[in-house]
Amino acid sequence: MRWLFSFLVLALLGAVQALSSSGSRLLVVLEELAEKDKYSEFWDDLRGRSYTLSFESPKNDKLSIFKHGERAYDHLILFPPKTKGLGPSLTPKLLLEFLKKDGNVLLTLSADHPTPSAIVSLLLELDIHLPTDRNALVIDHFNYDTVSAGEKHDVLLVPAPKALRADVKNYFEVDGTIAVPRAVGQGLGNTTPHLAPILRAGSSAYSYNPKDEAEIVEDPFAVGEQLSLVSAMQARNSARFTVVGSVEMLQNEWFDAKIGAVGSKEQTTTANRAFAAKVSEWTFKETGVLKVGRLQHYLNEGKKNVNESAVGVPEHNPGIYRIKTDVSYTIEISEYTSTHLSPFVPPTADDVQLEFSMLSPFHRLSLTPLAQTANSTIFGTSFVLPDQHGIFNFRVNYKRPFLTSVDEKRQVTVRHFAHDEWPRSWNISAAWVWIGGIWVTVAGWIAFVALWLYSEGVEKGVKKTQ
Amino acid sequence: MPPKNRHPTSASVQPSAPKSTPSAPTTTSSKPLNANTAQDIVQNVWDKYVQRTPQRVKLLDTFMAFLVAVGALQFVYCVIVGNFPFNAFLSGFSATVGQFVLTASLRIQTNPENKAEFESISNERAFADFIFGSLLLHFFCVNFIN
Repeated sequence: MRWLFSFLVLALLGAVQALSSSGSRLLVVLEELAEKDKYSEFWDDLRGRSYTLSFESPKNDKLSIFKHGERAYDHLILFPPKTKGLGPSLTPKLLLEFLKKDGNVLLTLSADHPTPSAIVSLLLELDIHLPTDRNALVIDHFNYDTVSAGEKHDVLLVPAPKALRADVKNYFEVDGTIAVPRAVGQGLGNTTPHLAPILRAGSSAYSYNPKDEAEIVEDPFAVGEQLSLVSAMQARNSARFTVVGSVEMLQNEWFDAKIGAVGSKEQTTTANRAFAAKVSEWTFKETGVLKVGRLQHYLNEGKKNVNESAVGVPEHNPGIYRIKTDVSYTIEISEYTSTHLSPFVPPTADDVQLEFSMLSPFHRLSLTPLAQTANSTIFGTSFVLPDQHGIFNFRVNYKRPFLTSVDEKRQVTVRHFAHDEWPRSWNISAAWVWIGGIWVTVAGWIAFVALWLYSEGVEKGVKKTQ
Repeated sequence: MPPKNRHPTSASVQPSAPKSTPSAPTTTSSKPLNANTAQDIVQNVWDKYVQRTPQRVKLLDTFMAFLVAVGALQFVYCVIVGNFPFNAFLSGFSATVGQFVLTASLRIQTNPENKAEFESISNERAFADFIFGSLLLHFFCVNFIN
C-alpha cells in the first residue's frame, strides 16, 4: 500500500513539474489546425520542456481562456488570424484580463494578411505601434537572404541580439544569424518602462508595403533600429507579453533553412530554432524570474544594543530602531533558470539598491553581494540610521527589463533617544563647570542650613538666660 | 527711613525679637542722617545695615550674595565659552536662581520687620518649607543635568 502511495506522489510530482516557473498549461490559438504541422518542431521543443499543449481555433464557440473566473491556461500563443479578428473569446479586453491574472502571451504577426484591428488596438494599449499600412512589411536591401529572397529582399538576416544596455542581462544570446521572413515591424512607445525590444531590425531596414506601386517610399512608418521585429512587454505584475513580428520564423522550414548573406557565397543554417526557444523560454517565465528569499534587518551594534535578545544574538527584523544606530540589511535573491534556482548575479553595470525611506528616501544604498548559497546570492549593506524619527521603510525596488520585478518593503519605527540613553553629564567635559555650579550651590545651602540652625540655638539660649 | 520708624512697633509686638531691639537706638545716634558725598551715603547705609539687621537676616543676605556670585559666574562662563551642553547650563544656572528665590522667600517670612504680615507662619514653619523646597530643587537640578 505504501509503495503504491509513494508511486502516486511521484506521478503527481511528475505531472506538476514544469520548466516554467508559472505553470505548464499552454494554449495555442490557431485558425486552421491543419497549419500546425508546419510548426511541429517548435511544438516538439515546447513539449520537450514539459508543456501541455492544447490547440484551439478562435472560431470554436466553447473556447475560453478563463474557467470559473480563473485562468484556464498559464500561457497563450496567438497565431495571426486570416479573418477580421480573434473572435469573441479573445477580445483585447479578455487578453488584458489574462495578463492581469499573471498569464503570459506570445503573439505572432504575419505580413501575409492584414493585421486585424482588434490586435492593433490591443497592441496600441500596450504602447506597441504597428504600421498604419496594414500590409506593410520590413525590407532591408543590404541584409537579406540571397537564397530565398534575392528579388524581394523581404527575408531579413539579423545577427543574434546583444544586451540592450550594459546594465541589462541578455536572455536571447544565440549562435548564428536569425532569419526573419516577411515581418511586421513594431514601433515601441518610449514613455513606458515596461517595453523592451528583443530583436531589432538592421540599420538599413524600413517598413514598406510591397503592393504600393510607388517608386519611392515617402514617409515610412519607421526605419532602421526603430523597427522592432520581436518585442517584449512585461507588466507590473511581471506577466509577459511578447510580439513576434514574423510567424514564419517559427516554421520548420526556417528552423534549419540554408541562408546566404549578401556578398558571401557560402550558405549557413539559421539560428531560428535556438532563438525561438529563447523567446518562448523568456515569455513563459523559464528565464529572468527573480525570487526573494530570506530578508533580514538587524541592529549592528556590539554589546551595547538595546534590542539584544537573551542569547546574545541581535534580534532579527525588529519593529523598532533608535535614531543614529548602525543597522544591517541583507536580502537573498535567486534567479530561476529553466530547471532550478541559481544565485542571482546582477549585470556588471547594475546594482541592487536599498532605500531607507519615509515618503522620500533618506538613504539609497547599493547592496553588495556578501555571500552565495547553492541557489541564491545574499546581498547586504550596513548604514547608520538618519537623525530623524518616524515610520520608515526598508525598500528594495528592483525593476529591470527582462527581469521580473522585485519590490520588497519592510516597515519599521525609528524612535528618538530614550531619557536614559543620553550620555551622563560627567562624560561631557563641557558640563563640568555647571555640575560644579550645582554642587557649590548645594554645599553652600548645607553650610547655610547648619549656620541657621546654630544661630537659632544660640538665640534660644540667650532667650532662656534672659 | 521707614524701617527705622516701623521697627519699634514690631519690637513692641514681639519683645523676644533678638538683637534688633538693642541695635535700633544705637543707629539713630551713631551718625547724622544728612550725608554730603556718595561715599558718605553708602557708608551710612552700610553702617545702619550692619548695626540694625538681625544676625539671621545677615546670614540670609550673605547666602544670597553667594548665590548671586555663583550664578553670575556660571552665566558669564556660558556667554564666553558657549552653552553646550545646554541642559547642564540650565540646571546649573537655575539651581542658583531657584535657591536665590527660595532664600528670598525665607528672608521675607522670617524677617522680624514683616512679623505683622506673617503672623500665622512661624519661623520654624518657614524654615521647614525652605528645606523642603530646596531639596526638591536640588533633586530636579541633579536629575536634569543627568
